[in-house]
Amino acid sequence: MKICITSTGTSLDSNVDPRFGRCPFFIIYDTNTDTFEAIENTSRQAMGGAGIQSGQLIASKNVEAVLSGNFGPNAFRVLQAANIKMFSNVSGTVKEAIEKFKNGQLTETSAPDVQSHYGMGRMGGA
Amino acid sequence: MILSVASGKGGTGKTTVAVSLALAAGYCQFIDYDVEAPNAHIFLKPEVKNIKKVTIKQPYFLTETGKDFSKCAQFCHYNAVAVIGNQVIFYPELCHGCGGCILVGPEGAVREKEVEVGQVMKGLTPPGIDFISGNLSPGSMRTTTVQNELEKLINKNGIVIIDSPPGNSCSMVMSVKNSDYCILVTEPTPYGLNDLILSMEVLGNLKIPYGVIINRDGIGDSTLEDYCRDKNIKVLLKIPDERNIAKSYSEGKTLIDFNNYYIQAFKKILKEIENTINNN
Repeated sequence: MKICITSTGTSLDSNVDPRFGRCPFFIIYDTNTDTFEAIENTSRQAMGGAGIQSGQLIASKNVEAVLSGNFGPNAFRVLQAANIKMFSNVSGTVKEAIEKFKNGQLTETSAPDVQSHYGMGRMGGA
Repeated sequence: MILSVASGKGGTGKTTVAVSLALAAGYCQFIDYDVEAPNAHIFLKPEVKNIKKVTIKQPYFLTETGKDFSKCAQFCHYNAVAVIGNQVIFYPELCHGCGGCILVGPEGAVREKEVEVGQVMKGLTPPGIDFISGNLSPGSMRTTTVQNELEKLINKNGIVIIDSPPGNSCSMVMSVKNSDYCILVTEPTPYGLNDLILSMEVLGNLKIPYGVIINRDGIGDSTLEDYCRDKNIKVLLKIPDERNIAKSYSEGKTLIDFNNYYIQAFKKILKEIENTINNN
């Protein structure tokens, strides 16, 4: 199966980015073949609705699960509609996250973790 | 003449000043532009004449047609539409009502409906203050849409007093942009001065003449007054920091209810401003 990990960089040694909508890269990892590709997240600079755009991008990649730090309510709705499982509170390197996922050590999240605009930093909070 | 009362920093006394000006003018139009938190009605107690809804058009998607709506999602700059397979997810709070999705989407399958974003209230404070205020619906972000409806009601023939929202962003610009003069209400604190300078920058860009009213005079230090003197900014009035003024405000009373002296003070200010405008 294909899974997606929000990442700060393009390699498996990169850290998991805690933000779904505004992470710099998505690592799409195939657990059957142990191969991956890194996709730049072009939505991260969006004024608003970054999570919505990112969610649609990930849905188009036919992934079955996403591993990240947090999911906002807008992204949550998109991923839920696409029947993609979400695993939040994931940290460490991408490689470590994949191992934990394979060993069944991650728990699926059933509700958004953070408010809208969480990933925008202080400027977006108002 | 159109006279706006703004401040930058919130809570410096915009409404106190705007209400006093209206009472001093006697016959005028008063417009509360602070649609996110209107409060002038508490002091001017208008008899409500009518309340009109402010609406915008937002799309809805006839997904039962089985058509492909992905172009709508691609088009929307604000990401208000997401399309996952045959499901459409619409985020009304992100929609700006541009109608683009109707144009690019499958023909006839995207329709529009009216959505209420606020109200405009018209009333009268006897004998002669035509009172108008805008009210943004809870959760709505369409502040300037409601303000646009207020703008249409401005009657330039007489005196128009505009109570602006705090800050210096879009909603403040909307409230001052048509004015012949703006009164900036501030207080002698670092925060008051900082925001006064920001408001002066906005008014400078808009080429609107302004003067300052210092409220809560006596607190802080002389930095604000020194600044006004150095920059040659007209200080129209100083209102002292008095507990009894705050107490009477908390009871819904105006500055003029508190002390009749202020009616003369504000009449003088109106005269002064009229002269300034006529000499420009």
